[in-house]
Amino acid sequence: MPQQVNQPLPAGYVLNGYRIEKPLSSGGFSIVYLARDESGTPFAIKEYLPSSLALRSEGVEVDISDENNLSIFRHGLKCFFEEGRALAMISHPNVVRVENFFRANETCYMVMQYVRGRTLQFHIQRNRHEFTEAFIRRLFIHLMNGLREVHANKLLHLDIKPANIFLAMDGRPVLLDFGAARITLSEEALKLKPMYTAGFAAPEHYRFNPQELGPWADIYSVGATIYTCIAGTPPQAADAREKKDQMIPLKSLARQPYSEDLYAITNESLALDYLQRPQTAFDLQKRLMEEPVEEKKSSFFDTLSKPVSKLFSR
Amino acid sequence: MRFTIFQDSHTGDRSGNEDRVGYSYSRNVLLLVIADGMGGHMKGELAAEIAVTEVTRRFQQEARNRLKKPQEFLVSAINSAHRAIVAQAVEENLLESPRTTCVACIVQGNSAHWAWAGDSRLYVLRNGKLAAQTSDHSRVQQMIDAGAITVEQAARHPDRNKIYSCLGGVVPPQIGVAREFKLEQGDTIMLSTDGFWAQIPATLIGTLLRKQDIVGLMPGLITEAHRRAMGESDNISVVAMTWENQEDENVSDTTQMLGEEQFTTSSNTQDLDIPGGPAGDDVTEEDIEKAIAEIQSAIKKVPR
Repeated sequence: MPQQVNQPLPAGYVLNGYRIEKPLSSGGFSIVYLARDESGTPFAIKEYLPSSLALRSEGVEVDISDENNLSIFRHGLKCFFEEGRALAMISHPNVVRVENFFRANETCYMVMQYVRGRTLQFHIQRNRHEFTEAFIRRLFIHLMNGLREVHANKLLHLDIKPANIFLAMDGRPVLLDFGAARITLSEEALKLKPMYTAGFAAPEHYRFNPQELGPWADIYSVGATIYTCIAGTPPQAADAREKKDQMIPLKSLARQPYSEDLYAITNESLALDYLQRPQTAFDLQKRLMEEPVEEKKSSFFDTLSKPVSKLFSR
Repeated sequence: MRFTIFQDSHTGDRSGNEDRVGYSYSRNVLLLVIADGMGGHMKGELAAEIAVTEVTRRFQQEARNRLKKPQEFLVSAINSAHRAIVAQAVEENLLESPRTTCVACIVQGNSAHWAWAGDSRLYVLRNGKLAAQTSDHSRVQQMIDAGAITVEQAARHPDRNKIYSCLGGVVPPQIGVAREFKLEQGDTIMLSTDGFWAQIPATLIGTLLRKQDIVGLMPGLITEAHRRAMGESDNISVVAMTWENQEDENVSDTTQMLGEEQFTTSSNTQDLDIPGGPAGDDVTEEDIEKAIAEIQSAIKKVPR
């Protein structure tokens, strides 16, 4: 991810009634700020500002007087609008809520609900011991509620990964960053360049054949996210797996005992052939809700289930 | 074609900028060009201006599709720039015709071709290493080739600014032409004037390019070149291009959006800056207002 070359808005700057407190994060296409409205309610405000273009060396106005920059800037703006459209349609406790969307300083801003907590990525890096089987199941069962809502709105997230899942203080997972989201029924939206994160993007996502993209592409990313929770590291990237599948069997990376059932669910979700995955968020949610079979004691079951898990990890 | 471009020109500590840089591309062909007007002669900036303008003009005339013979084109374009400079000197009744160096590079298919006169340079950097470069038409380069001095000695040699080939001189330029160079993903082609290359070694650029892309790296390197000259900096100019994964949809600069006969051009010459940019996919003011209104109304519609 390229670092932002652009200056963030200064603390104390009042933007359309929101007072900027500090930048929370910055990425390739935006800077996210913590801000408060007049009543003191905190919000996360995302400012569209592609880091590949040096647009603001000082002050607050974005300078897009360069004609070449303008064209690239506006193309990226389209993607920003897609994200706004996607989020505006959804109101769900497991999906970040967009509260406002406006234009200022020659660019656009998306005001989102501010969720107190940390990203799943932070927890994976710091607190791996917390990732018990029960914790993982509960987390992803709840997350699937949010993802079902996304898919019900004919949207695909297309960039699910630990950095885009927030764990609120109350333990509720919240799906963030719909920067890659696409309205599946809109031809226009599908023409936009895809973005993907190696290790989490499904193989069909790399090919970017619109006919192949469906909820199962998000399921692959969820599988990769569960894999990362257990292994501490993401699986081999899907494009590399398609050439030579060297994904390390999850069981050999696990730091604490998990049920064969959970390994199997993860492996199925990570199937290269999308027809082999759980096809919907609801399917995956049902699988996660099934009580794991108590197999630890039975050595007979162990030997039986081994070839099965091998099959899936291929 | 998918590539990323960076270009900038800095006056350094001089009173004026006699460097000119530019690039231009159509859907299938890319031109990079740089010229360093010679300070010891009159109106160096005029010579550099004509060189970049003329090479670009010829390019836009002949490169609507691919160039059949890119090397011949480059030699011919540089020669016609030379003649244009001399003609301008006659026109303006100048006592001496102004002079300039010139490097021009054509990228098409998966190949690069380049030609040069003088001591402005082209580097190709691959995997952090210098994979190809031009050889200066300079007195010190001749001495290095003859084994008389080392590269380090050349950097401090009193004759280091003397070149034996340029555009606008009494004799036509001696033009160096490189063999076709096959590009690989991640290769960076970089053209620079001596204000830059004399301060920043190619090995350093290569090392830094492993960690950063040209857009992130080059502005800092130009500042560094200026700093290293300790108050005596020549004009500093760079135009660089990184050849991206041609299959990757997720890349910043692409010619795919250009129509058949369109060119995107950018330079620091007076009259070449043709506005427009990649056309065909532009978002208008109206589109922006409409999108915002749609999002606003969706936010209001969904119960919170």
